Amino acid sequence: MTATATPLDVGQADTATVEVPPRFDMARRLLRTRRLQFGLAMLAPIALLALFEPLLPFGDSNASNLQARFLSPSLDHLFGTDALGRDVLARTVAGGRISLVVGVAAAFASVSIGIVLGTVAAYFGKWVDSTISGLVNVLLAFPGLLIGLTAVAMFGAGVGQVILAVSIAFTPRAIRLQRSLVLGIKSNPYMDAARMVAAPTRWILVRHIVPNTLSPMLVVASIYTANAILIEATMSFMGLGIVPPTPSWGNIIKDGEPYLRESWWISLMPALLLILVAIALHLIADGARQVLDPTEHDRGAK
Amino acid sequence: MGGSYVLRRLYHLVPTLLGVITLTFLVVRLLPGDPALYILGENSTQASVDALRDQLNLGEPLPSAWLSYMGSLLTGDLGESIAYRVPVSEILSSVLPVTVAIATSALILGTILGVTIGAVAAHLASRGRAGLDHALTSTSIVLEGTPPFVVALIAMLFFVLRLEWFPAVGVIDWGDVGGVVERLAMPVGVLAIGEVATIGRITRTSTLDSLGNDYVRTARALGESSVSALTHHGLRNSLLPVITMVGLSFGRLLGGTIVIEVIFSLPGMGSTLIDGIVGRDYPVIQALVLVYALLYVFVNLLTDVLYRLADPRVEL
Repeated sequence: MTATATPLDVGQADTATVEVPPRFDMARRLLRTRRLQFGLAMLAPIALLALFEPLLPFGDSNASNLQARFLSPSLDHLFGTDALGRDVLARTVAGGRISLVVGVAAAFASVSIGIVLGTVAAYFGKWVDSTISGLVNVLLAFPGLLIGLTAVAMFGAGVGQVILAVSIAFTPRAIRLQRSLVLGIKSNPYMDAARMVAAPTRWILVRHIVPNTLSPMLVVASIYTANAILIEATMSFMGLGIVPPTPSWGNIIKDGEPYLRESWWISLMPALLLILVAIALHLIADGARQVLDPTEHDRGAK
Repeated sequence: MGGSYVLRRLYHLVPTLLGVITLTFLVVRLLPGDPALYILGENSTQASVDALRDQLNLGEPLPSAWLSYMGSLLTGDLGESIAYRVPVSEILSSVLPVTVAIATSALILGTILGVTIGAVAAHLASRGRAGLDHALTSTSIVLEGTPPFVVALIAMLFFVLRLEWFPAVGVIDWGDVGGVVERLAMPVGVLAIGEVATIGRITRTSTLDSLGNDYVRTARALGESSVSALTHHGLRNSLLPVITMVGLSFGRLLGGTIVIEVIFSLPGMGSTLIDGIVGRDYPVIQALVLVYALLYVFVNLLTDVLYRLADPRVEL
């Protein structure tokens, strides 16, 4: 903490040392959850490939070779080649980079804005809450994909626009969740205690409220990332998201659609990675939820 | 009693509906630069830009343009399509039935299958036979990560292109029932699969919860068979979260109809919306976005009312 810390920060050092073991314990328990292990094992190789794509010897994802059109998967071209003789693996990895960036950026943006506006709405109540909640209710009346498509209709297609569009779709959901989390925390006795010793509002928010909402918000961030990737792929598939020559899983799948019957690999290989990533992110969210929320037990399947 | 609850809910919807209408109104207003010029493109003549500006009320100040937009909506006037030069309401009356037909069939089919599979899985799991339960859980995890358009492509590859069981294209003639069923079977099936996964998982979890209740154990102890304990005591209570889930998942289902209509070239709201976006036909976009939102709000109202009807503990 800085020099501007309030008197209530006395004992900060003690609580910090006490908090360390449970955190280590939580990390261990997180990694022991089988769903989380599965999820990470599926996501990690794809994410690493996408992340380090520029350094890896995949070659140019847009390099076409008209002598090598529609080659089925082989050792030379693991995912085959497309109608222009481009290597589908190179395109899929390059497209995955874009898709993952869009998903993570949109989820991060909506969860961050959601934490701020949801906390403000729940903590200050009255007209602040009615204004924010009213806007949230209006936006929630539109299915996510529809918001994305409308935003592209207004501002055009492209990576930035798609991130913006998907963030607009998820932010109201994040605000609503954060609002209900903060409302739940507000009723705790330690909140009354904090108010009784006249703790400053900002200190209550930063020290008591927001940290307690972070783990559920991180869980939904994982789900939002999966859904953002799926919405981006759907939009790009319809030609209204990320447009060629920038590859994304959606537009590679669209490229292969006319040749689906004979050259299924052009569409289905990137589709497979898309599904794997979405499942992995859902598994990570499920596993994390099991560990972070001890009250929620999923009976049956472990 | 029930009626007054519906009226109260409708009353609470008014601000949301006003907001929804205002947002769709702003779709044209917030276009970058001069909306009329943006729609027609740089090479258009000044006269056509002026005509469009008149048609879209762009010359009016915002509040009075908003009022006239509200006024025309109340009289059922949704504006005129720029591309086709016909009233949007005319286009809507031909595409709305297609979308409503596939969305409701998929919703009903998916809910029935999902509730059945979920209840059977929970029942078997409670008796120690968890095979179906594991299969359902893993299938639903896979399906939740698979967007409808990929399911559609795979279904298309196998059932249309390889096996040639269903026609891929063709007009929809509502008089020809067999033809309509044949034409809509694949799109509806693809959309329903996603619902089955979601609804099945919720039904399974909530049935397992209610099977653990004391009154179910009592019923079993009094000699009721496990199937009758499930159908009489377990299932009814476990349907409440299912109803909520049906409403919540309807938004995704509606989104799914858009891409499904495009893939199976069905003349519904979705394919019209995509054509509208590509052709910058903003009156059409505006009207369709509004109708999608109204459908979504209406189905959620309906599920709320159903919830109150199914749960007598909640006062109407």
